Amino acid sequence: MRIVRLILLAATLASLSSAAHAQGRPAPKDALLYFIWPQNGATIKGGFWCRFGLRNMGVTHAGDDFQNSGHHHLLLDVTEPLDPKEPIPQDKNHLHFGAGQTETRLELPPGKHTLQLVLGDAKHYLFDPPIMSEKITVNIR
Amino acid sequence: MREKVRDINSGRTGNAPPRGQSPRRLAAIVAGDIAGYSRLMEVDEEGTHERVKRIQRDLIDPSIAEHQGRLVKTTGDGFFAIFDSPVEAVRCGIVIQQNMFARNALLEKEQRIEFRIGVNLGDVIIEADDIYGDGVNVASRLESIAEPGEVYISGGIYEQIKHKLVCGYESLGDRKVKNITDPVRVYRVLPDPAALNKTRRRETILIFSLSAILLLIAGAALWSLLLQPYEKARERALVPPAQQVPATSPQYPVEKQAAQPSQPATTVGQSAGTAATHPATPRAAPQDQGAPAAAPATKQAALQGAPSAQPTPAVREPDMNLLRGGTFTMGSNEDITEKPVHQVTVKPFALSRYPVSVREWNECAAAKACAFAATGKDDAPVTNVSWTDAKQYVAWLSTATHKTYRLPSEAEWEYAARAGTQSRFWWGDEFQPGMANCRNCTDIAAAEQPVKAGSFKPNPFGLYDMGGGVDQWVEDCWHKSYHGAPVDGSAWAEGDCASHVIRSGSWKNDQRYVRPANRDSYDINVRYPTHGFRVAFSP
Repeated sequence: MRIVRLILLAATLASLSSAAHAQGRPAPKDALLYFIWPQNGATIKGGFWCRFGLRNMGVTHAGDDFQNSGHHHLLLDVTEPLDPKEPIPQDKNHLHFGAGQTETRLELPPGKHTLQLVLGDAKHYLFDPPIMSEKITVNIR
Repeated sequence: MREKVRDINSGRTGNAPPRGQSPRRLAAIVAGDIAGYSRLMEVDEEGTHERVKRIQRDLIDPSIAEHQGRLVKTTGDGFFAIFDSPVEAVRCGIVIQQNMFARNALLEKEQRIEFRIGVNLGDVIIEADDIYGDGVNVASRLESIAEPGEVYISGGIYEQIKHKLVCGYESLGDRKVKNITDPVRVYRVLPDPAALNKTRRRETILIFSLSAILLLIAGAALWSLLLQPYEKARERALVPPAQQVPATSPQYPVEKQAAQPSQPATTVGQSAGTAATHPATPRAAPQDQGAPAAAPATKQAALQGAPSAQPTPAVREPDMNLLRGGTFTMGSNEDITEKPVHQVTVKPFALSRYPVSVREWNECAAAKACAFAATGKDDAPVTNVSWTDAKQYVAWLSTATHKTYRLPSEAEWEYAARAGTQSRFWWGDEFQPGMANCRNCTDIAAAEQPVKAGSFKPNPFGLYDMGGGVDQWVEDCWHKSYHGAPVDGSAWAEGDCASHVIRSGSWKNDQRYVRPANRDSYDINVRYPTHGFRVAFSP
C-alpha cells in the first residue's frame, strides 16, 4: 500500500505542472470518435455490448495526461449540451470509462434511446475542439 | 485451450474453470495461514472462528479480488490464491499483512491473529476447487518458514518484481525445504524500506528533545544554584519534564459538543427507531480508551527516557456518531439498480458525522500517507478522491489512531441515510428545497467546491450531508442490482470490483440523487471532482 502511495505521489507531483490547466486541451483535427456497435437506428433485443471506436487518438486512464489521448464517456439520452468550462457530469446519463474501457454492457429499458460518445481529458474536461461521436438512436425491444 | 485459460484468469467473475481436462498454467501462488491457530482455538474456539471468518470476508477476499487474483481454496486457518501477475500477488500479500498489523494494534498479544504468507511462481494444475503442483508446495513451504506478519517470496518471484515494487528485500539465502529436492532461494519482503528509518528518526527526535529538556533543566539548576539554596533548585529541576507531557497527547476538536444536533431523535420510525435513541454519542467508548492509555505511556517514556516507546501523534479524528444498528428495509422500486427491496440487519457501528474534510485529508497528505494535498476551503468536504485514495486515508487514520477505521458498507450507508425512515427522502416523500446540497435545490450557487460540511439540517441520526454534497465511496464492489446481496450489513466484496459503489449524489446532481436509496458506481482508481467519502468503525 505504501509503495502504491509513493508511486501515486510521484505520479501526481510529476503531472501537477503539466496538468494544472486541463481545460480545453488541444485535440488533433482528424480525431474521430464513433460507435463500432451498435449502428444508428439499430433495433436490439435486451442487453447489448456497446463498443467504442477512436481514430488518430489514444485511450488512456483518467488522470493520465498524455498528449492526444483521453478516456471515453457515454451519454445516454442526454439533451442538454455539455459545458466546456465544467468537467463532464457524472450521473446515470453520463457514464464514465476512466479505466480506459472501450466497451460496455448496456441494459436499457425498452423504447428509443440516444447514445453519444464524448472523449474527456485527464480531468474529465472536453477537448478543444470537442471530440464527440455522432448521436445515434437505438430501439430497444 | 486459450479460452479456458482466459476463463480462469478472470478472477473477478469467479467462474469455476471448465470441468474435464485440467488446465495447466503458470501462476503466482500465494499461500497464507495463521500462526498459532491451534493455540488461538484453544483459548477461544468460537471467538477465534468468528474473527477468522470475518478477516477472510473483510480482508482476504477483497484484497485478492482487488489485485486480480483468485481465491482457490480456504483451509480452516489459511488460504491459497493464484494471480496472473507476481507484482499483484506480492502487493496483495503486503496489503493483507499491513491491514492485519493495523487490526492487531488494538489487541493484546495473545489475541492477535497473525498471518504467515509465502509467494511462489510456478506451474500449477487447476481444478474447480483446488490447485496442485510443485509450485503450490513451495509456496506453502515458504509460508511455513515465514515469521508471523511477514511475506516470504521465492527467487522466481523476486526476479520478476525486484525493479517493479519499491520494497526492501532481504535475501535469506538458499533454503532446503521439506520434500522438495532443490533448495529454494528465499527473500523476505520489507514492505516499507522507509519504515525502518522512520522509527529510527522518531527515536532520534525523542532522544533529541529529551536531551534538550535535560539540558534546559541542567541549565536552570545551575542558574538556581548560583542564586538560591541547593535544596530549592533540585525541586524545581524535577518539575518540567512532567509538564511537558500533556502536549504530546492527542488533541481533539473542541467543537465536538457544539456541533451535536439538538433534537435528533424525534422524527424516527419504528423498526430501526431504536438506533435513534442513541443518536450522537460523539466519542464512542473504544475511542476514549485510546487517549488516556497512550498518555501515560508517553509520560513514562519521557521520564525514563526509554526510546522504544513512540509518542502518539496528534491526529484530527473525524467526529463519529455511534449508531445502534438494527433491521431496515434497503432499496426501492424507483430504479432498476435499487431492486429488489430487501431486509438487512446492520450491526452497531460508528459513522463520521460529516464527509471527511479538506483539513482532515490534508493531515494524511502531510504525513505522506495520502497521495495528494487537497485544495479549497478547509472545512469543505474533500473531493477528487478515488476509492483507492479513500482506502489510503482510512489505513493512515487507523495506524495513526490505533483504531480500525474503514469505509462504511453500502448497507450501513443506507441504514444511516434512512435514519429509521422508509420515505423517499428522510424528511418525507416530497423533495423540500433547502434540505440538501444538490443542483437546483438550494439558493447557494453551485461552485467548484461543495459548501462547508454541516450547512444543511442533519438527519434523525444526527448525520449531515447523507444525500447531496459530495458523492461518497463505500466499501462494496458494484453490482447492478441487489440480487444475491448480503443481508448482514457487511460489504459485498465479490463481483465487479473494478468499480465500487458511490452513494449520496453530489452538489452537481439533481434531487433524485439525494434519495437514500440512490446508488451509482465509479472506477476504483479514477478521481472525479465530486467524489468524497465518510469513515466508519465497528465498536
